[in-house]
Amino acid sequence: MSRSYRLIRLLGLLIAFCILQSCYSVRLKNTSGVPMPDPLSSRVNYYRDIKVHEKDTVITIGALDKDFTLLIKDCNPGGLHTVEYRNTFGGILLSAVTFGKKRKVKIKYVCMKPVN
Amino acid sequence: MASTTPFPKTEWDTLHNNGPFPLKLLYVTELEGEANIPSKVDRYNDAAQEIQKLLQETLDNNEGFRAYGSRWSMSNIAHHAERMHYNGFMNIHLPIAEENLHENASYNSSNLFLFQCGNTIKRISEVLGAHGKSLKASGASNGQTIAGCVSTGVHGSALDVGAVQDYVVGINLITGPEINDIVYLERHTKPALSNTFIAQINARVIRNDKLFNAALVSLGSFGFVHGVVIEAEDRFLLKRYVRKIKKELALELAQTMDFKNSSFKIDEEFDENGKPKRPYHYKVFMNPYNNENQYVVELMYKHPYAVPYPDPFPIINKSVYRDLIHLFIKISEKFPDSIPWFIKRLKKVILPEVNEQTTGTLAEIFWDAPYQGPAFACSVGVDYKDSPKALDLLAKLAENEGPIPGIFAMRFVKKSEAILAFSKFPITCMIEIDGVLWKKSKKLMSLKQFTRRMIEVLKQNDVPFTIHWGKNSDWGFSGLVEHMYGENAQTWKNIRSAFLTEKMAKLFSNDFLDATGLSQLQQNVDEDLIASLT
Repeated sequence: MSRSYRLIRLLGLLIAFCILQSCYSVRLKNTSGVPMPDPLSSRVNYYRDIKVHEKDTVITIGALDKDFTLLIKDCNPGGLHTVEYRNTFGGILLSAVTFGKKRKVKIKYVCMKPVN
Repeated sequence: MASTTPFPKTEWDTLHNNGPFPLKLLYVTELEGEANIPSKVDRYNDAAQEIQKLLQETLDNNEGFRAYGSRWSMSNIAHHAERMHYNGFMNIHLPIAEENLHENASYNSSNLFLFQCGNTIKRISEVLGAHGKSLKASGASNGQTIAGCVSTGVHGSALDVGAVQDYVVGINLITGPEINDIVYLERHTKPALSNTFIAQINARVIRNDKLFNAALVSLGSFGFVHGVVIEAEDRFLLKRYVRKIKKELALELAQTMDFKNSSFKIDEEFDENGKPKRPYHYKVFMNPYNNENQYVVELMYKHPYAVPYPDPFPIINKSVYRDLIHLFIKISEKFPDSIPWFIKRLKKVILPEVNEQTTGTLAEIFWDAPYQGPAFACSVGVDYKDSPKALDLLAKLAENEGPIPGIFAMRFVKKSEAILAFSKFPITCMIEIDGVLWKKSKKLMSLKQFTRRMIEVLKQNDVPFTIHWGKNSDWGFSGLVEHMYGENAQTWKNIRSAFLTEKMAKLFSNDFLDATGLSQLQQNVDEDLIASLT
């Protein structure tokens, strides 16, 4: 096996490792309350039967900005039940090449089911 | 007005993907807002009118109708191929005031609450918790709706409490589109609500123990369960312990339920005479594919509510990556011999951690169970005295004719008064086999074949049994219901035939009822079966 082939394979493994390691989800879940159901959904993941909202966007953060607030308008006053933040390799890469100006935001959130 | 959106559909499935099943139309009803109808009773009545409108529509189209909530049942009990109704948004609750009690009521009004059908166990626990109250028992999790739980007999493992239907004291049914078709049932020997209150929910009352006990575990076929009145109790704490004990000792406890004179002890749980306390809950876990001489057991003891207590929630709630489980199943379908090996590897995920100790309220201990992919569950009820024999027979079946990708457990439930309750023995041991759905292969029998063999093996060995209505089984097995319930099956059919008109009985039937023979209408039944006995 040539030296360059071994190097390419090592590099490939390193990239795959970085991608795997940098993809993760953190979920904030209220221990109280019932999530908004979605009887029409056919999801077969963690959010089965749950109405989940997704935001997949890129935000621009200026050099002087300390934080960024995304507004949620599609939840009732009952508030949020779950918020999931996902970090991806693409997101990290985008942030790195734009020196932190562009940030990928991948969020899922679930509202509370209204009470009666 | 409450509003309903009809959605044309082609199929419907259970939460755990035990279908899909065909479906024509799905109704989703939402309540009128509080701002437009401030009174809860008025909103409740408004919703009843909406349901009656849907029943009329269904009748006009000569079709069938079935309501469902969280679709947690794994059998097709909640399914109808024509019209189905999602009632999860119908979640009003009403505490029962002292003045709304029946004059002969023996209940404490502060323990009584009316819950509309779509309230989940979790929501109910939160409502009760806000009043310093608790459910007496629940299933192993909290996502089911109350109407679904009661209609199918959902149970926990509370030895001296019973299943969810056993603390229901009143049922509000909608049996058709006419004014007289809103009915409130309760026991004549234990009335709960005053006639004045019942009139406020536009219902006619029938107080009759037999009718009430038939309609409790109704399998969704006595009408639309609009609401139930439940009896709660003061909030309490459960102390949960997980231990690994000798197999013989675990089975001796299961067979005798004699904890007081047992050599098994939990250091902190003694009565005033120094004897081991009787637990609130006892559960035995068993892997049929190893010959370990020790079983993992879970026990819970009831204590008065007092704060503070340690946080019962884990800091991080991790779940197994679903694709790994799918991979496991795909391999198992081709190489069934790998199942025991996989189950052993997944032990940490499937079984609770030994020596784990937790304290919490009922609602905290039996908390959320997130969806983890397609699953099956078989659950047979036997007299606790027969539990070691039945467990041995079923484990041998899995070992000799399987394997199947699942693990066994035993839970214990006090006898129910409901005519078709599977918890029909003095203490019923529910032997459960839970696992991941698989496809039949050349080397692996199908789930239906396995469940058929379970029935055959128990019959051949003269072990009286029942089957959980919401779990997987060969529900079309000839004479199954008559074998399990004897005369009670006929009594239930007679009462149902007397209670519903012929066209409404047909509307509220489904494939599950047809397969089990329970949809058969009986002619010339005694009308006294449904007479109010006050």
